[in-house]
Amino acid sequence: MSFVIEASDLGKRYGRRWALRDCTLAIPEGKVVGLVGPNGAGKTTLLHLAVGLLSPTSGSISVLGESPGDGPAQLRRIGFVAQDTPVYARLSVAQHLQMGAWLNSSWDREIADSRIKQLGLDPRQRAGTLSGGQRAQLALTLAIAKRPECLILDEPVASLDPLARREFLRSLMEVVAAHGISVVLSSHLTADLERVCDYLVVLVASRLQVAGEVSELLSAHHRISGPRRDASSLPAHQDVIEESHADKQSTFLVRTSEPVHDPAWTVRPVTLDDLVIAYMSRPAATEPAPRPLLKVMS
Amino acid sequence: MIRFTWLQFRVQARVAMAALVAFAVVLMVTGPHLASLFAASGISTCHANTCATAAGAFLSRLAVTSPYPIVYLLGIGIILAAPAIIGIFWGAPLIARELETRTFALAWTQSISRTRWLVAKLAVTGFAAMLVTEALSLMDALWADPIGKAIGLQGSDPVASVFGQGRLGLLVFPTSGIAPLGYAAFAFALGTASGVFIRHAVPAMAVTLAIFAAIQIAMPLWARPHLIPPNRMTTTIEAAQLNFGSLTATVVPGRPGAWIISSGARDAKGRPVTMLPAACQGAPPPAKPLNPALCMDRRGFREAITYQPASRYWPLQWIETGIFLALAVALTGLCFWRLGRRRI
Repeated sequence: MSFVIEASDLGKRYGRRWALRDCTLAIPEGKVVGLVGPNGAGKTTLLHLAVGLLSPTSGSISVLGESPGDGPAQLRRIGFVAQDTPVYARLSVAQHLQMGAWLNSSWDREIADSRIKQLGLDPRQRAGTLSGGQRAQLALTLAIAKRPECLILDEPVASLDPLARREFLRSLMEVVAAHGISVVLSSHLTADLERVCDYLVVLVASRLQVAGEVSELLSAHHRISGPRRDASSLPAHQDVIEESHADKQSTFLVRTSEPVHDPAWTVRPVTLDDLVIAYMSRPAATEPAPRPLLKVMS
Repeated sequence: MIRFTWLQFRVQARVAMAALVAFAVVLMVTGPHLASLFAASGISTCHANTCATAAGAFLSRLAVTSPYPIVYLLGIGIILAAPAIIGIFWGAPLIARELETRTFALAWTQSISRTRWLVAKLAVTGFAAMLVTEALSLMDALWADPIGKAIGLQGSDPVASVFGQGRLGLLVFPTSGIAPLGYAAFAFALGTASGVFIRHAVPAMAVTLAIFAAIQIAMPLWARPHLIPPNRMTTTIEAAQLNFGSLTATVVPGRPGAWIISSGARDAKGRPVTMLPAACQGAPPPAKPLNPALCMDRRGFREAITYQPASRYWPLQWIETGIFLALAVALTGLCFWRLGRRRI
């Protein structure tokens, strides 16, 4: 199996601060990957490393089997929509498409034109006067029309209103359905991702917390509650992600590859939101070294 | 990428074009009359001994004939300012604006290497910068050709007016020949590099202006006089036509159009003197006036002059332009290095 993003011990440091460190992951191709984490967790850094805007301080990263770089050959394979979907304010929609055609040898004019038409954008309108949602759609059009093998989007919907957000994600899903390309999409809101993603990467405080197929992650995590007890008394295969204790009762969110048999426990499934929140609120001091729990079969 | 750079550059290019056309119109309106004044002055048919007089008369008349002094100074001002304006408004925002508005993330993820992107941006805009400045300078040179000829002919007794400067003059040298080309390339590269390192257009513009102005002041004061080792001459006080306040020379005898770098009087023992000796100051009126130059010459005073002869105009132009082009190349190299490091 080939990977859309493969990183080993990847790190990026700005001065003395590590924006991302010890990041090891392998995301299979053909997925819609949600990259979640609070603001400042290192999501943008990871994505910029993936598209070659940054070079790593340590470790290595490869995207679609090649190290991201400056070469046109690699750049052609990746469509990128940056945070806040920057466009040239003084250029018109048509001029943006012209730019795409000039700067990308693989440019597909038909895709671009039909999308602009479908979105109802006026080609003569200046990009600076577009609404946030329209601007995001224009940026997505530019990224798609170069016919990439993988789309990387950095918080594309963060600044959009709920309606524009839904519209954007819907057109993204249409693209995935039509072209079958891999998508990596970052967000700090799980609600956005729940609808579209089948693979999840959680990044907190510049470290990777967990990565895996959404369905496998959901079946491997359980919320268990029962008589009060200490986390250390749980079986070794149960990795405690979150714990809360009342007078007589303890509740844990655990990750385990084995079924929970102890009859003292009430076992409930978790939602994607629960899971992400649990990883995000895990105190930084106690975090274990991230281990690739859910190995991808190759 | 060249087409896209041009698309982004169109507005500035139009402004520059409009400025060029406006300047050309002013020169074309005033040029023919200037040429007819020159033809009427008799300079073109003068003989060796009448030329200086005819040229002096022409320049004196021009100095009081509107609008020639104004247009002459306007031309100099525009050519001096053009490189700075280009550095500030074309160079500084060129990359800084992309970094500020984060459109670099869009530009650098198209299927084109960052190096090619930068080459196109720098080539299109930089070439335009040099073209515009040199066009201004050439148009002005064409217009001012009669004035330049007359200045060259007026010999060792220049008219004290706006037309008093020879080709090595502080205002004429940097606005003529090929020097404006070098300044334009340098100012543009300086602006671009400031933008790349400061990453914000407005501060980069300010820094560009400050550095460019400082260099334009430092160059004629400290660097240009020594680009070629200057000549030295010791002459009589009378021949050097002293300014008796400071005892500095106003002309280099036998070297019309020479650029005086430093000068000063020496007494009979060779010691520098900066004040008119008491014996030569003469008694207050109504006593018979004294000729201080004659008086000083008789007492053994001599004038020492360091100067660049007018014949070094082109060598100095080439060296100075070469220096600025080299600086421009170095600054451009810094831009490539900084953006190639992929630290955004």
